[in-house]
Amino acid sequence: MLQYVTINMDGALLRVAKGTSVLDAALEYGVCIPHLCHVPNLSDMGACRLCIVEHVVNGKAKVTTSCTLRVQEGMVIKSNTDKIQRLRRNIAELLVAEAPNSRAIQDIAARCGVKTVRYPFRNEKCVLCGRCVRVCKEMFAANAIGFVGRGKERRVASPFGKLSEFCKRCNTCLEVCPMTITPCAGPMKPGEEYLCNKCESQLMEIASAPDQCFFCDLGEGFQCSRH
Amino acid sequence: MTKFANAAALEGFRRELLRQRDSIKGTVTICGGTGCQTSQAKKVIDALRAELARRGLTKEIHLRPTGCHGFCEQGPLMVVEPGKVFYCHITPDDAAEIVEKTVIKGEVIQRLLYTDPVSGKKIHSEDDIPFYRAQDRQLLSQNRQVNPLDINDYIAIGGYASLAKTLAKMKPKSVIDEVAASGLRGRGGGGFPTGRKWLECHDAPGEEKYVICNADEGDPGAYMDRCVLEGNPHLVLEGMMIGAFAVGASQGYVYVRNEYPLAVEHVRAAVDQARELGLLGEKILGSRFSFDVEIARGGGAFVCGESTALMASLEGTVGEPRAKDVHTVVDGLWHKPTVLNNVETWANVPSIMGKGAAWFKAKGSKGSKGTKILALTGHIKNTGLVEVAMGTPLRTVLYDIGGGPSRSKDIKAVQTGGPSGGCLPASKFDLPVDFDALYDAGSMVGSGGMVVMDQGTCMVDVAKYFLDFLQDESCGKCVPCRLGIDRMLEIVTAISEGRGKPEHLPLLEDLAETMSLTALCGLGKTAANPVLSTLRYFRDEYEAHIKQGQCPAGVCQALIEYNIDESKCTACGACLRACPYHAIQGKKKEPHHIVAAQCQKCGICHAECKFDAIQVA
Ligand SMILES: Cc1cc2nc3c(=O)[nH]c(=O)nc-3n(C[C@H](O)[C@H](O)[C@H](O)COP(=O)(O)O)c2cc1C
Ligand code: SF4
Ligand code: FES
Repeated sequence: MLQYVTINMDGALLRVAKGTSVLDAALEYGVCIPHLCHVPNLSDMGACRLCIVEHVVNGKAKVTTSCTLRVQEGMVIKSNTDKIQRLRRNIAELLVAEAPNSRAIQDIAARCGVKTVRYPFRNEKCVLCGRCVRVCKEMFAANAIGFVGRGKERRVASPFGKLSEFCKRCNTCLEVCPMTITPCAGPMKPGEEYLCNKCESQLMEIASAPDQCFFCDLGEGFQCSRH
Repeated sequence: MTKFANAAALEGFRRELLRQRDSIKGTVTICGGTGCQTSQAKKVIDALRAELARRGLTKEIHLRPTGCHGFCEQGPLMVVEPGKVFYCHITPDDAAEIVEKTVIKGEVIQRLLYTDPVSGKKIHSEDDIPFYRAQDRQLLSQNRQVNPLDINDYIAIGGYASLAKTLAKMKPKSVIDEVAASGLRGRGGGGFPTGRKWLECHDAPGEEKYVICNADEGDPGAYMDRCVLEGNPHLVLEGMMIGAFAVGASQGYVYVRNEYPLAVEHVRAAVDQARELGLLGEKILGSRFSFDVEIARGGGAFVCGESTALMASLEGTVGEPRAKDVHTVVDGLWHKPTVLNNVETWANVPSIMGKGAAWFKAKGSKGSKGTKILALTGHIKNTGLVEVAMGTPLRTVLYDIGGGPSRSKDIKAVQTGGPSGGCLPASKFDLPVDFDALYDAGSMVGSGGMVVMDQGTCMVDVAKYFLDFLQDESCGKCVPCRLGIDRMLEIVTAISEGRGKPEHLPLLEDLAETMSLTALCGLGKTAANPVLSTLRYFRDEYEAHIKQGQCPAGVCQALIEYNIDESKCTACGACLRACPYHAIQGKKKEPHHIVAAQCQKCGICHAECKFDAIQVA
C-alpha cells in the first residue's frame, strides 16, 4: 500500500507518496522549480543544480538539489527564497553563456531571471545534462552512449567513437536533448551578452511570480512532468 | 606460526620477542620510504647488510629498514643506536666506514652529520636537530621503530595490545564513547568528529557494515598518508579493526592511491602477516569478532578521494561523486552503512584505546585534539613531514621547525589545506594549526599540506595554479563546479595577462558563493577557496594587475619586462649564452642588452646573472 507523508513547502502542507523526490512533489502540486537534467521517470544525477531549494533542519537552512532529495515526514522546504533565486540565476547564467543558441537554455535562463550575462558567450554543442545518456540506459537498456573523460574533457560519446551495435536508432536521445530545440532569434551573439526580453513563452513575466506553474512552453518543449 | 588464541598469547609472544632481542647490541635504522628510495636508500641498505655479514655481526646488530622519517630532503637518513647518532645524505660507499667506526667503536663520523642551516653547526643526535625538536611526533616516531614488513617489530613496541584490550574488555558502545570523548576529528580534510561518525554508523539499521581507509591522497605536495601507511601499516590496520568492532563491520577496505606501489606492497604484506597470526579472520583473539581487510587500488583521480566517488570506485563503477542527502554512514558502500576514515585518523585510534581519551585530549587546542602531520614544502629551509600538537602556531611550524625562508626573501604567505584550502598572509602566522581557527580565517587544516611562499610569489598566479589543477581534477558532472572553475580560470588568466577589469573582482566573489553553496561535492564546494582567500588578503595585488597593469612580484609574464642595468653589467656573456631565444646581444667588454621583440620572458638570464644586472619591471 502506498504510504504518504506530509511536507511543508513554502508554508503549504503537501501530502505526497513516500519515496517521491521533493522536485516531483513540487511539480505535482504546481510549484515550479526550474530544472534541466531531471527527466520524469528517470534516475536523477543532480548535474544542473538548477532545482536547488533550502531544506530547513533544526532551524538551519541547507541548500540542496530537490531532485535528489527524498520527501520525509515533517520536512520543511523553501523553494524560492531570495538566496535561492540569486544562486539559481547565477547557475542559469553559467549555462546560457555556454549555450546561448539553445531555445531550452534561453528559456530556462529567462525563467530564472537572467537578463545580462557577465561571461563571454561560447557556442558549445552540449551542456552535459546527461538526459540522453540516462534515457538510453534506463528506458531502452541500450547503453549506446555514455560520458567519457573528466573535467574539461568530459563529453558524451558512443563506445570507441563508433555507433554502438546496441543503438536502436529510436532517436529518443535527440528528443530529450535541450540543444536540439531551435533557438529564439533574439540577439544571442558574442559581444551581445543579454537576453532580448521578448520570449514568446512570456517567461520573463513568470519570473515575477516565480513559484507558480504557468504551463509554459518551456515545459512543452522540454518534457516537464506537468505536460 | 600459530594463531593467537587470546590476548594472553599475544602478550606472551611479545615478551618472548623482547627476551630474544635482549642480546642485540645495536640497531642501525635506515629510512627506506619512497622519498629516500629515490635517493638510493636501497643500495645503502644492501651495502650495510653485506658489510655486517662480512664482519659476522648480523646477530648482534639489528639492521632495520623503516618507513619515512619525514626529513626527506636530507635522505637517505640513518640513526645508529646506541647514541641516536644521526647521519644524512649517506651513500653506499659510506657503509663500510659507518660499520667500522660508528657501529663497532661508537665513533662519530663528522662528515655525515647534519648541519643546521640556521646556526651552521654540526649536530650529533637526532634529538638535538631543531627540525625534530619542536615537533611532537606521536605517530611519526613509531616509523623509526618498526620495519613495516615485519609484524614482530610492531608487536614488540606494544602493537595490537589496544585491540586485545578492546576485544577482551569493552563493548562496542564504550569504544565509541571513548573515541568521542577523545575529541578526535577526521584528518582527511573535513575535521568531522570521528566518534559521532562511528555512532551514526553503529546506530544505522542493517547487519552488513563496512569500514574503509581512505589512502587516496591526491593533494599536490602531500604525502603524510603515504608515509604512515608505508612506514607503519599495522598501526592503521589495528585502528581499522577497533573501528570495525565498534560499528559492527566484518569487512574493511584500504583504498590506496594508484601511484603508491610501495604502500600497497606494505599493506598487503601486513594484512597477510596479521591473518597468519589470527589478528584478521574469524574469531579474532578468541573473541566473537571476525574481520578481514581487502586492498583496492585507486581510480587515479583526485576526486576519487571524495567519499561517494571512492565508494563508487570500490564498487567497480566510474569514480564520480553522487548526491549525499542520506549520509554514507547510513547508505554507503553497496548501500550499506559505512565508515570512511583517513589513514591518519585510523592511525590515532590504537593509542586512544591504549592510553585513554584523557591522554589524547591533553594535547591540542579547544576544538582540535591530538597531533597533526603536516607536509611542509615550498620556499622554506627544512622541507619534509612535520608532526605537531594541534594548536601549535603557524609561526612555530614555519620558523622553528621549517627554519624560515629558503631564499633571501621574506615569507609572504602559506597555503594550507591543499587545493581546497586558502592562502594565509604573514599577519595571520600567529594562528594555531586548528580546524576552526584556520577555517574562520578562510583556509583550512585540510589534510595538512603547507606550501610556503615568499615575496617572489604572485598571488594571482597562485590562484591560477590551483584553478588549473582543479579544472583538470573536477569530474565535470555538475554545472557550478565544471563551468564555475572554467570561468574563474578564464577571468584570473585575463587578470594575469593585463586584460582584467575592475568588475571582475566582485564577479569572482559572486561566483565563488554560488559554487560553494550549490556544487555537488566537496571539490566544487571548496574550489573557490584559493581565489577567495587571495582576494581577501591580497586584493591590492589583483588591483595592481587590473589598474596599473603591473605584477608586483614580477611573475606574470605578460606584465613584466626584462632589462639589463648597464651600470651593473660586466659583459661576462653568461646571459647571452644562456638565452634559448637569442634575445640578448652585446659585444665583449660592452654592456649587453635585451631585444624586447625576441624576449620570451622565460627568466633564464635573470637566474643566470651573478651580478644582479638583469632587472624585472
Ligand atoms: C575532492 C575531494 C578529495 C578528497 N581526497 C581525500 C583524500 O585523498 N584522502 C582522504 O582521507 N580524504 C579525502 N577527502 C575527504 C573524504 O571525502 C572524507 O571526508 C574523509 O576521507 C573522511 O575521513 P576523516 O573523517 O577521517 O577525515 C576528499 C574530499 C574531497 C571533496
Ligand atoms: S563538484 Fe565538481 S567534482 Fe564534485 S560532482 Fe560536481 S563537477 Fe564533479
Ligand atoms: S534537475 Fe536537479 S540537478 Fe538538475
